[in-house]
Amino acid sequence: MTDLLECRAVTRRFGGVIAVKPIDLTLREGEFLSIIGPNGAGKTTLFNLISGHDVPDDGTIVLEGVAIAGRAPERIAAMGLARTFQHGRVFANMSVRDNILVGAHHRLRAVKPRLPGLGALAELAMALIRPPAVAAEEAALNHEVLEIAALFGDRLTPRLDQPAHSLSYANRRRVEIARALALRPRLLLLDEPTAGMNETETAEMQSIIGGLKARGQTILLIEHKLDLVMRLSDRVIAMDDGAKIAEGPPHTVRQSPAVIEAYLGHRAMGEAAL
Amino acid sequence: MGSWLDYTINGLIIGNIYALVAVGLALIFGVSNLINFAQGSVYAVGAYIGWTCFTYLHTPLAVTALIVVVACAGLGVAIERIGLRPLAGAARIAPLLATIGISLVLDQLLQIVFTPDPRALTSPLPNWRISVGGGTIGALDLLIAATGIVSAAVLYGFLRFTKLGWAVRATAQDRDAARQMGVNTDAVNMTVFAIASALGGLSGLLVGMYFNHIDPAMGFQATLKGVVAQVIGGMGNVPGAIFGSLLLGLTESYGVAIFGSSYRNLFSFALLLLILVLRPNGLFASARSTPPEPMTGSFVTPNRPVRVPRWAIVAAVVIAAAVPLIPAIPYVLQVLTNAWLFAMLAISLTLVAGTLGQISLGHASLLLIGAYASALFALDSHWPVWASIPAAGIVTALLGTALIAPSFRLRSHYVSIATLGIGEIVGLVILNWESLTRGPMGVTNIPPLQVGNIELDNPRAAYWITLGILVLLAMMQTRLLRSHLGRIFRAIRDDDVAARAHGISLGRYKAIAFAFGGFAAGISGGIAAHQYSYINNETFTSTVSISALTMVILGGMGNVLGAILGAVALTALPEMFRGTAEYRMLIYGVALLLLVRFRPQGILGTT
Amino acid sequence: MRLSRRTLLAAAAATLPAVRARAAEPIMAGVSGPLTGPNAQYGAQWKRGFDLALDGINGAGGVKGRPIEYVFEDSQSDPRQSVAVAQKLVADPRIIIELGDFASPASMAASPIYQRAKLVQFGFTNSHPDFTKGGDHMWSNSTSQAEEQPNLAGYAAKLGFKRPALLHLNTDWGRTAKDAFVAAAPGLGMQVVDVEGYLAAEQDFRPTLVRARDSKPDGLVLLSYYADGALISRQARDTGVKLPILAGTSNYSPKFIELGGQGVEGDWVMSTFFPGDPRPEVQDFVTRYRKKYDQEPDSFSAGAYDTMVLFSLLCAQFGTTREAMQAGLLAIKDVPSVIYGRVTFDPATRRVLGANYKLLQVKDQKFMVWDGTPPAAG
Repeated sequence: MTDLLECRAVTRRFGGVIAVKPIDLTLREGEFLSIIGPNGAGKTTLFNLISGHDVPDDGTIVLEGVAIAGRAPERIAAMGLARTFQHGRVFANMSVRDNILVGAHHRLRAVKPRLPGLGALAELAMALIRPPAVAAEEAALNHEVLEIAALFGDRLTPRLDQPAHSLSYANRRRVEIARALALRPRLLLLDEPTAGMNETETAEMQSIIGGLKARGQTILLIEHKLDLVMRLSDRVIAMDDGAKIAEGPPHTVRQSPAVIEAYLGHRAMGEAAL
Repeated sequence: MGSWLDYTINGLIIGNIYALVAVGLALIFGVSNLINFAQGSVYAVGAYIGWTCFTYLHTPLAVTALIVVVACAGLGVAIERIGLRPLAGAARIAPLLATIGISLVLDQLLQIVFTPDPRALTSPLPNWRISVGGGTIGALDLLIAATGIVSAAVLYGFLRFTKLGWAVRATAQDRDAARQMGVNTDAVNMTVFAIASALGGLSGLLVGMYFNHIDPAMGFQATLKGVVAQVIGGMGNVPGAIFGSLLLGLTESYGVAIFGSSYRNLFSFALLLLILVLRPNGLFASARSTPPEPMTGSFVTPNRPVRVPRWAIVAAVVIAAAVPLIPAIPYVLQVLTNAWLFAMLAISLTLVAGTLGQISLGHASLLLIGAYASALFALDSHWPVWASIPAAGIVTALLGTALIAPSFRLRSHYVSIATLGIGEIVGLVILNWESLTRGPMGVTNIPPLQVGNIELDNPRAAYWITLGILVLLAMMQTRLLRSHLGRIFRAIRDDDVAARAHGISLGRYKAIAFAFGGFAAGISGGIAAHQYSYINNETFTSTVSISALTMVILGGMGNVLGAILGAVALTALPEMFRGTAEYRMLIYGVALLLLVRFRPQGILGTT
Repeated sequence: MRLSRRTLLAAAAATLPAVRARAAEPIMAGVSGPLTGPNAQYGAQWKRGFDLALDGINGAGGVKGRPIEYVFEDSQSDPRQSVAVAQKLVADPRIIIELGDFASPASMAASPIYQRAKLVQFGFTNSHPDFTKGGDHMWSNSTSQAEEQPNLAGYAAKLGFKRPALLHLNTDWGRTAKDAFVAAAPGLGMQVVDVEGYLAAEQDFRPTLVRARDSKPDGLVLLSYYADGALISRQARDTGVKLPILAGTSNYSPKFIELGGQGVEGDWVMSTFFPGDPRPEVQDFVTRYRKKYDQEPDSFSAGAYDTMVLFSLLCAQFGTTREAMQAGLLAIKDVPSVIYGRVTFDPATRRVLGANYKLLQVKDQKFMVWDGTPPAAG
């Protein structure tokens, strides 16, 4: 297996605070890697650096052999990286169906003729004329939406035409994951997918993510619920205070004194569930 | 050259005056995240209260100033309590529109009570002056500077060292968190409006005395310059607003020195755009600040748009097409033709403002570009009108998109301010580019609407042509909205960070939307040029931009049918109130406020 | 307004013929102009001029027993609204003449509609040289800049200006005026050393004045409206510019002195009419204006007054149809006027020549006829 993602000495400073201290991270094709750590450890910042929403001050990030640090997020997404957001960022005034369709954006082909310089104009013309190839592409994507929604049981399917703002919090998280899957990602970044979910919902989400893993999906996960992390991960990285404090198989990391220390030290934050 | 000292001093003097308004605007923006378009009107009210005190009560300056401060603080409280607080749960755009409505109402009230004539507001200060360079500085200049600096210092102290000030700052940082921590954000808002309005009123008094001139329309220019100044200093940054004002004053003064008076505002707005593009958070923000929090869902009011059945739309079009057949008076046809022309502008704006979420305050400049393009193609290149109008649409699409493109990376209010600036720049370029546009003399003898040799220059033909084109444009836009582009535009509006995470390139899709919208607006301007036969740089002013935005919000953001409905309503309403003459704009303002209050998502709802 | 026995009596007397005339159908003029919006002040002045003229005309029994009335349609001087107003007015058969609009974009956008309907569009503030070229039904008694500016330049030369600097409002009106002045200057031995076109909503003229000063002029000429003119003059004095200032006719307004205060003391203003003018038309207008409105008239109200008087004479002499208006304007001669001595239209240009131009000077905060004293060497 080859390295899909490789981060070397990636660093991010905010003013005087170092949010991510030089950190190394590699992820192989088909691997499931989780990042754990107390709040403020720099996990989400690291995600933002990988997905292009933030630019590292130092270090290199290589995705499939291409250096991507500093690239715009839309270009990184086009390379096959999809992510979800910590607090959930669905398109609130759009239907569930349209939310998921947006995820498939970079896979549109027929409607985006490759004309150097005139691509945008051609795309506008295609959208207005809607030739058979474009209509077929839309129909195929719509069909795919049904398949993706079906992954979530009957949570999303009956609500496909409801606006996302009318959904429950848990359902909005599901929409976000469905949207990310529509990109058919080579690499999927999940930022606390079970935050705010009760036990039943968490278990359900765990089986969905497990199903993705079984399909061979490469996943980088940030999660506080250690049970889920232990069950699904091939490997775990623990972070604290912007730095990697442990890395290895789930159970090794869990028992690492540094990790226990970090969680105990942050117990006041009320997040750790050791 | 000794004159540079004079230009510098003159720039600082006028900057000093801009600062008074900018500080009030910055305070309100900082806390409420709202560009308060009513600030200029409060400033005018302050000037008139001062005039009344001087003329009828013969109060000394200190007492007059006190009365102005107290009265305007009261006005600020009333604006917040009656006009804005009820909109707390509504979309972000609702309070902005409410301040526009409040400003209309206040300006019109002033005009009705005090007549539109300008009045002298004579300064009671001793007329001693000190010479600086070739010119002089008077007592009033020093008083204005002192007021600006002292009010900024007092505000700074208040925000930093008092409990209420902490509450204000907490609210500014995170309203929800502040509320959870027990801060009474309503009280904070009211305090902020009281302070800003008191300051605004006092500024009106002082500036009125400085120019020895007050009139009911003085507020708009003041707001415009104040907004520019506070963007330069950083939106919501109170000391920055003073610095931005001085810099603006200097730029104008040096601009006049180098290029002449007719270019004056061109430099202020060019500076504005430059700062927006290079340092969008103002000169004092750190170069790389953290990306702002998402505003998911707060852009449009969550609602279910009214579903208008297809047969009803077809019936409406048929009825509209049949209007000229009944022996209607040409006046009604003309009003409706105007409504269709406005509707083309409104569907253009509802696409970029409603669907794409980029609130443009300079949309009238697209009409100007379209009108000039079609008129000049017809006159200078001798193109037939049927060719010059579509060509004008294409030119407007291209030029409009090219002008806005540098601002594509801006978000929310910054887009509005950038478009406001671009709108002013287009007007000023047309005024000054005489070899092409004939400058202030305008373009005369524009041929009427005609196909071949058939002149379509009667109300009926013009009506059918505009209606037909509007229906065509509306159908195209509806089709566009149902394609993948409609989805992408809405995604960008709802959350551009998430949109980018899914591979959507903002620049490309903003360009497509602005080009499509620019085409419709350019067509509208082109038709108008042939209908009017004469256009100049003042044919479409910023008032038209504001009207168009009002129509869009009234109909429901992003809603094509709503935009057309809004255009018809807002073209017809002032005509219906025609009998009330001087009162009609007042009635219009009140109607606008009531609509924002009771149906903020618009008549047909946002889509 | 204070009510005295005399005004009460006058009011009572005025109602008598009005009661008699009520039985008769009124003769209607349509007015398209700004009552709201940024130019509302000028519409308000128009109304004062119209109403004063009608007090006199209808007070004397109207025209052949019929009173004259007008409908004032607010256009905000906005072309979109002025075209709608035009359709409304042309469709109203009672209306036999249209007066206005105020600014050229609004007036000229409506011209094709009036021309088609063969309704005279009488633009009494439209000095845009192309206004009356819109069609043979476009007429104007606005003073022509081609005539006015050589007069102003002539006064400038009399004041001893050799190297004037020119400040003008950069609109179609100001531009026309500036071009005419600059063209007339060399023939009078003057060289215009600087031209500054300022923007319409401007209030701060200090940098403009420094720029003008640096061209080393020996006098300032203002082609402005009274509100800007007053601001410019005040700020000239504040910036230490002591040059003599000569302002064009649109500055003649009591507001010029009210707004300018000591800053306009000593300024020269050319005017087409002057309350001290002994001509009976002027004296009648000025006395009645002061009495009715408790303020001084200006050139906008005088223009409106003249226009309404002209309308009544057209009706009296030529009849009360739309065709009569057009025929009458071609034929009418020597109409008494406040602004012109006597009005006769040039049938080719459909404009009026021969306005009276007087040079006034602000002395002790009053307009006085210039006594011929040249400016002190500045």
